[in-house]
Amino acid sequence: MAECEEEVEVLVQRVVKDITSAFKKNPSIDEIGVIPCPEARYNRSPIVLVENKLGVESWCVKFLLPYVHNKLLLYRQRKHWLDREALVDITCTVLLLNPDFTTAWNVRKELLQSGVLNPEKDLYLGQLALTKFPKSPETWIHRRWVLQHVLAQLAAVGSSRKHQQSGEGEQVDADRRQELSDHLARTLHQEMKVCSDAACRYPSNYNAWSHRIWVLQHMARGNAKVFHDELSSMRLWVSMHVSDHSGFHYRQFLLKELIHELSQSAGEEDLTGEGEGEERQLSFITVLQLFHQEMELISDLIRSFPGHETLWSHRRHVFFLWQQWRRDQKLSNGGELAQGDVWGGESVNGQSHSDAMEVERVCLPDPRDSKRLKRGVHLPAPPSLPSEYTFVSSVLDSCCPADQRRFAMSYKKWLDTVIVQEP
Amino acid sequence: MRSEESYKEEEEGKRNYHAKVLMMGTQVKDVIVKPDAPNSLLLDKHADYIAAYGSKKDDYEYTLSEYLRMSGIYWGLTVMDLMAQLPRMNRQEIIDFIKACQHECGGVSASIGHDPHLLYTLSAVQILCLYDSVDEIDVDKVVEYIKGLQQEDGSFAGDKWGEIDTRFSFCAVATLALLGKMDTINVDKAVEFVLSCMNFDGGFGCRPGSESHAGQIYCCTGFLSLTGQLHQVNADLLGWWLCERQLPSGGLNGRPEKLPDVCYSWWVLASLKIIGRIHWIDKAKLRMFILACQDEETGGFADRPGDMVDPFHTLFGVAGLSLLGDEQIKPVNPVLCMPEDVLQRVNLQPDLLS
Repeated sequence: MAECEEEVEVLVQRVVKDITSAFKKNPSIDEIGVIPCPEARYNRSPIVLVENKLGVESWCVKFLLPYVHNKLLLYRQRKHWLDREALVDITCTVLLLNPDFTTAWNVRKELLQSGVLNPEKDLYLGQLALTKFPKSPETWIHRRWVLQHVLAQLAAVGSSRKHQQSGEGEQVDADRRQELSDHLARTLHQEMKVCSDAACRYPSNYNAWSHRIWVLQHMARGNAKVFHDELSSMRLWVSMHVSDHSGFHYRQFLLKELIHELSQSAGEEDLTGEGEGEERQLSFITVLQLFHQEMELISDLIRSFPGHETLWSHRRHVFFLWQQWRRDQKLSNGGELAQGDVWGGESVNGQSHSDAMEVERVCLPDPRDSKRLKRGVHLPAPPSLPSEYTFVSSVLDSCCPADQRRFAMSYKKWLDTVIVQEP
Repeated sequence: MRSEESYKEEEEGKRNYHAKVLMMGTQVKDVIVKPDAPNSLLLDKHADYIAAYGSKKDDYEYTLSEYLRMSGIYWGLTVMDLMAQLPRMNRQEIIDFIKACQHECGGVSASIGHDPHLLYTLSAVQILCLYDSVDEIDVDKVVEYIKGLQQEDGSFAGDKWGEIDTRFSFCAVATLALLGKMDTINVDKAVEFVLSCMNFDGGFGCRPGSESHAGQIYCCTGFLSLTGQLHQVNADLLGWWLCERQLPSGGLNGRPEKLPDVCYSWWVLASLKIIGRIHWIDKAKLRMFILACQDEETGGFADRPGDMVDPFHTLFGVAGLSLLGDEQIKPVNPVLCMPEDVLQRVNLQPDLLS
């Protein structure tokens, strides 16, 4: 039974209206979906709102999408006028059904630019689309544009206040800055949540995780606390998603950034000459602890969940980061690690310290290391090439499945080929 | 990277068991290629499938994918040309369509009324090359559009809205290379940006600091080939990462612990060819996997055996087989995914490592 054009037009207009009023009725809608329903039931709207879930009955989608899709394109070609409200409603409908329709997002960008649309609306729409299409590349791309738009606006407001007169303006200034800072923090937190939800909805969701990285790169530059918190909060998640390569890559990113931040603050102290090397010591200890915790985590997971390539891949990344940091430390200290008091007051000259860290050629048994550490600051034994070989052997010696063997052998080969050859 | 011998040994061992029982004991994500899966190349069926695709233009599915139509046409035409069946397609209709998709700014959109973008600008130029009709659009305007998308750090935005991705670096230089106009952009800066996306494992991500991904690796190695910078790649390291993508089924995935997909048989294989390490893959097993992805009834290839076919996977299945040396298919260029004879005509022979 084919619907004639007029019937389709009436139907679609009604559906678009129903969607709009659903959002007005319930501003807390948090998920969209298509309800399998092959036939229309007499005079009932195909739009179903139950609790916070918005559903579209499947029978109407084949009429609805082409109609709103083509209507939007007619507008874009200036063949058919749509007022702002209609544009908002139509793009909303189109994007909930087909969020990879780039041009529809672009129409909304223009509405945003002209101040007609609130950026929060687009972030909300994107969030909804991602509940059904967690990978949708165009949704993530549009999201980044909106966030940049928001950041630019916040920055503009922030700087416009700089030229205020002193006196009573100062308090207003401080309040406004706090407000902006809070807004930024809320937005950041919200993005983390959206990424997290999408990551749970689709395994190894590259687009969700690379967006998460983008957000931190653009909204949390230099904020070590955010990186620390993310590292902590992700621990449990990755332990429950041991195949999620993107999730573990996110941890690699966080580690790398944190180490960079800590090295920066240590470096600044060196430059200013103020302080007694406390920043440097603190950063050294923190980095050591970070690496130790990460290696512990990954060793634990490798043993608990044998045969997961992702876990071994993560180990490679972390150990490589470690090697890199060690090399950078040696370079910045002129080849030595002169951290006498850090290692517990034992008077060891610079040369011995290099030996303590230079473990790939000398096999230092663990007990000796921890004795040295006990005297002063409680430091974990650092990762080392010998300890990595020991780990591989322990896995191979245990009764492990064929895949685990294969990955362990591969890791050993990687150590032989990539790490040992590093200058 | 494992030696071919040790890989084969393990596979012999696996075949001694019933496939189902084995899969239950392993964590490795993979598919099972059933013994009755297609094992010969059904070229005629694929040609029929592509020739008939999209003939029902009111189809809901067709509308859904309109936002990438230009690329869809490129996929269809390229695979037809690789199968020497291009004459079956409607040349004039397609050229007129492309002309209607070039905007004032010079960029080309995926379809009429859609917004222009680098992705579809490349696809359009590739199609016009197949038809030796590049001058049917305003080439100078295309070049101007691409030039305007290069950023200060050398990266390329996909369109005027500013998204940065190494895919767009590839689109930019590939389009310009086909038009013979690479000197209009700052190549050194472009190279600098792409290299900043190289990761410790030798791979590349979409932006600096992003996870290595076979698709991005293809774009970046292709980019470095076109800009004469392949020596900057750590071929052994990257080659190893790439051949670790091969699974017991013979298929390739795009990252660790992902399922195999025929399109990765292109992204990974082409990358290996570009860096001169294609012999690190078990070619016979890969060929078996690709053939198993065919649909004997409808024609076309799916992402993995038994799934729904589409033109995208059809192109990459056929192109992958061509790279593996199937003589029933025209030789395909690994950098541009176009028939070699077309590139010879425009005098474009991008570097490959040996």
